[in-house]
Order: sequence, then structure tokens, then C-alpha cells
Amino acid sequence: MADSALTLFGVRRMLEGVVPPTMVSVGEDGTPHTNYLSLAEYVDAEHLALSFQFFNQSRKNVLATRRIALSLDDPYTGAGVVLQAEYVRTETSGPVFERLRAKLAGVASHSGMEAVFVLRGADVFRVLEMRYVPGRKELPAALPRCDLAAGARAVSESLAACGDLGDLVDAMMCGLAEQLRIEHAMLWMLEPSCEAMTLLASHGYPERATGAELPLGDGLAGIAAREGVPVRIGHIAQMRIYGRAVRERASQLGLDPLCNAEIPLPGLAEPRSQMAVPLRAMGRVIGVLFVESEHNQFFGYDDEDALMLLCGQFAMSLDRLRAIGEAEAEVPAPVVPAQSGQALRVRRFSQDNSIFLNDDYLIKGVAGAIFWKLVRDYTREQRSEFTTRELRLAGTELRLPDLQDNLDVRLLLLQRRLAERDAPVRIEKTGRGRFRLCVACSLQLIDEMR
Amino acid sequence: MPSLSPDQIAFFSAGIAHQIGSVTPEGRPCLVRGLAADIEDDGRVVVLLSGASGFEVLEAIRATRWIALNMTSPATYRSMMLKGSDAVAAAAGASFRGLLETRHAAFRTNLIPLGFTLEYTSSWYSLPDEDIVAIRFTPTLAWNQTPGPGAGQALPLGG
Repeated sequence: MADSALTLFGVRRMLEGVVPPTMVSVGEDGTPHTNYLSLAEYVDAEHLALSFQFFNQSRKNVLATRRIALSLDDPYTGAGVVLQAEYVRTETSGPVFERLRAKLAGVASHSGMEAVFVLRGADVFRVLEMRYVPGRKELPAALPRCDLAAGARAVSESLAACGDLGDLVDAMMCGLAEQLRIEHAMLWMLEPSCEAMTLLASHGYPERATGAELPLGDGLAGIAAREGVPVRIGHIAQMRIYGRAVRERASQLGLDPLCNAEIPLPGLAEPRSQMAVPLRAMGRVIGVLFVESEHNQFFGYDDEDALMLLCGQFAMSLDRLRAIGEAEAEVPAPVVPAQSGQALRVRRFSQDNSIFLNDDYLIKGVAGAIFWKLVRDYTREQRSEFTTRELRLAGTELRLPDLQDNLDVRLLLLQRRLAERDAPVRIEKTGRGRFRLCVACSLQLIDEMR
Repeated sequence: MPSLSPDQIAFFSAGIAHQIGSVTPEGRPCLVRGLAADIEDDGRVVVLLSGASGFEVLEAIRATRWIALNMTSPATYRSMMLKGSDAVAAAAGASFRGLLETRHAAFRTNLIPLGFTLEYTSSWYSLPDEDIVAIRFTPTLAWNQTPGPGAGQALPLGG
């Protein structure tokens, strides 16, 4: 009865839940029980994992008789697969549990049901046999969007050629668009406090949102950063309906509104697929690459594999470039900058180092502190040439103990935010570890206490 | 004989998906996608399927007569399961073509907002008359399977 040509690896896209998998379990009394599954996860060639969220009849059956049948449907062709599986164990930690937990949190983030969607365990099953469902008139399979392996190789080569942080970020974002046909992407960097992420770069959005903040754990990107694993959802419309159904049954539970963002978050109005991949280097998560699409099931397992590799390389390169950032630094000579036009009011609120140019919010945190030091030195000492080394040494003065790790990324963030705002103050890189503050008008500095 | 409530009966025509589960005498679970369901005058539920697709389930039902039919709306995720222990299967032929097409049209309409093409479900519903099989059973247990708190609890039949 089993089809020996079928492999679990070959049908792992059917586990994604675009068409929700269905399970039949059997009770101790020999009665069948049929139910839809919330989440299924490919583990390896012989195993899959199902989410254990609630104590219910099917859970009781699984523990009692250990045997299930699963029905899976191909979201493109309509082909069906039925498999027999045997319960092996429940994991409450480790990579499979973390992946399922992150995925569940991703589902919850689209439905505002974080309090209800709690993963108790990952039930691991060994697949005993698989077969196709006969009697169906299958549709042609969708053509691949691009050659993922060749595209990823091209992006990898571009990343490897970069000797500068800004170039590295640009190579990554351009590569995603041009080589991998990913039209909407954001690069989030973890703040030193590890409580939030800041948007360093994006493409495919009308908003200019560099410097926008996202609390850790919020949305798919925030979850990927918190859990340190990739999270992918390919059928957001279904997830919203699923969440609505849960919410209606749990109306007593309140929803936490998202934080008040000072820079509006970019994003598609109606995304259908999203994926967030952590940027990991030296065992730490330093940020997240977030991609999305207006098409269902746009990102598959293969995309996840490819982006995990590229994000690993990107994160390691970024770490490395930060380390060699000041190799050519020299002590700069003071210069008298040219000024013209109306004075720009620069206000700094010391509590969180938030900066306003006239009445417009610019940035806060480490990047805000850096900006304040630069404009203060500029007005006091009449110089516009700076080095990253002196900023690093000024870490104590800036009261930024984590500056060592984050200076270069924050500087790049500040540089891009200023350019994006078309501000009369700009930062230009003049060499490795050296940069210039270009000021097109006179500055009036106001240090506000708040 | 327990009967379904008007709300439960109305759910049959709400453009839902069907999954038919059963079990062999050896305790091996099996399942197949159902295509349409309705309530008959005698209070029994009739559920249609492709005989070719459901060969394993039909064999199990012949042996144990157990059925666990899950019905879920893709538009709302409302989900209900009906169980019976007296299921019988028989060739249905063209007599159920009308019901099949009505249910398919309603189901398809619910799937369009989710991004599925009209032709997607045709891969499941393009079966010849001679492949249409009807399973009839008396629902003796109903379960709420709408996700969230309360999922997996027995529902009262009738009333």
C-alpha cells in the first residue's frame, strides 16, 4: 500500500498548513477521532513534529495508542498524501521545540492571541509509511521563482567582496531583490539593551523608515530575534481567520497593543507570506532579516535554507568588519566648515538620547547619542572630521557601555537616517574608520531635560 | 435517536471542508477527504467521497462501521466532528451529482479570499459519476473542534 518513491523530505511543503493537515487518532476503546492540526514541522527524513497546545481527546489518544494517520494536500497541485506515523516522544526544549514555538508565536502575532497560543510541547512522530491519494486530477506544479542555489551563490559572492559595512548592507539588500526576486525586505539590528531592534535598511516600501524600532518579541521579526530561529508563515489570511476563531472563543482575554512607534513601521498592507531569519554571529543573535510577499506560500523551506546560509555569512562579515573598522584611523585636523541658510534647531532629550531636527524626530538611543556628540564637537571645536576610534573612546562620556560592539552599525544607521530625511546635516565616510560631518547651515543646540 | 440542531444542520451547506476518518479492526487509523455532506430524512448523515481516493477508509468502514467526520469552514475555522458506529457505504452515482456541485461551489467561494484559484479544488471534485460513493451513518456524538479554549469538548446533539 505504501509508495516507496515518496519521501517525507519530498512532501515537506505540504506540512506548511496552506491546506491544513488533518489527523486521525484512535482511542483506547478503538474509536477514531478526526481533527485539523494547528502546526506541523518537518524534523528529518523519518520524523515530523506536531504542536501540542491543549489537552484534548486527540492528545489523549496519541498517548494511549501512539498511532496516527495524517492527510496532507499540495497547495499548488491539489495532490494528496496520506501517511501513517507512530508517536515517539514529546520535546519541551531543543531546536524542534523552539522552531514550533516561534512558528506558533508568529501565528499568534497575526491574530493578537499570544496569551492563548502557548506551546506545551513538540510531539515527535516517526513516519511508518506514505502513499499518494489516488483518484485526483492534479494541476501542474508552480514554476520556481528563481534558481535559488545559483542566486544565493551570487549574493554570497557579492557579500564576500565587501570591505565596508555600508557596502555589505547594500550587497545583501540588492542581492535579495535582484538574485532571489524578494521584493520586500527589512534588515533589523538588535539594540544593545536587547529589548528592541532598529531598522537599518529596507527595500520595497514607500516609507522611509530607517531607525524605526520594533520591540523584541513583536511580529515575526521580533519573534525570530527573541527565539534565535527562523520563522515562516505562508498563508497569513488563513492564520488571521484561525486567530479570529480563537479570539471569539476567548474574548475575555485582552490584547496588547503594539508600542507607539516614533517612526512608523514599514510593511505591506496585506502580506500573504512572511519570513524572518535571525542574523547570528559568534553564537549571538545580532539582528534579523525580514522578508514578505503579497503572494501565498512565497517562501518555502528552500528559501529558508538559502537565507539561513546568507544571513550567517552576512552576520559574520558584519562582525568582522566592525572589528577592523578603525584600522586606518588617524587623528584628524580641525577644519572650519562652511555654513549658510537658516539655523537648524537640534534638540536632544537626555533621558533616551532622542534627537529632533527642528520639530521632526530623527533618532534616539546610541545613534542619537553619537549624533549629539558630533554636532556638539562640531559647534564647539569647529571641526567636521571624525574617527570611529575617538567615538569609541568617548563611550564613557556618552554613557554607552555597549558602544564597542555597536558603534559602526549605529553610525551607518545614523548616516542613512540623515540621508533619508534629506537633513541639512549628513555623514560622509572618508576612509576606514574616518568620516566627515557635512553641515549645510548653522546649528542651534538645545539640550532638553526630560 | 439523537438528532442534529438546526444550526448544526445549516453548517452542512456553509461551504465547508470534510475529512472522513475511520479505523481498521487492527487499530490502524485512516482518512480521506470527503466532498459533500447532508442530512437525510431519517436523521442519518450522508457524506460523499471518491471511491478511488477513499479505498482504505471504505475497507475500514466495512469492517468496523466506525466513522469520525470532521467538517471545517475555511471562512471561519468553525470546526465540528460527528461520530457514528453504524456507517455503511454504497455507490451513489449520478444521483448525488447535484449535491456535490452545490457543495463544491460554496466551498470554492470560501477559498477564494484565501488566495486559492477556482480550479484548485477541481482537482478533488473532478470525479466521474461511477466513482461517487456515499457513506451513511447515525451521528451519536458531536465534538466542537473550533480552535482555542473549548476545542475538543463534546457538543450536545439536538436541541
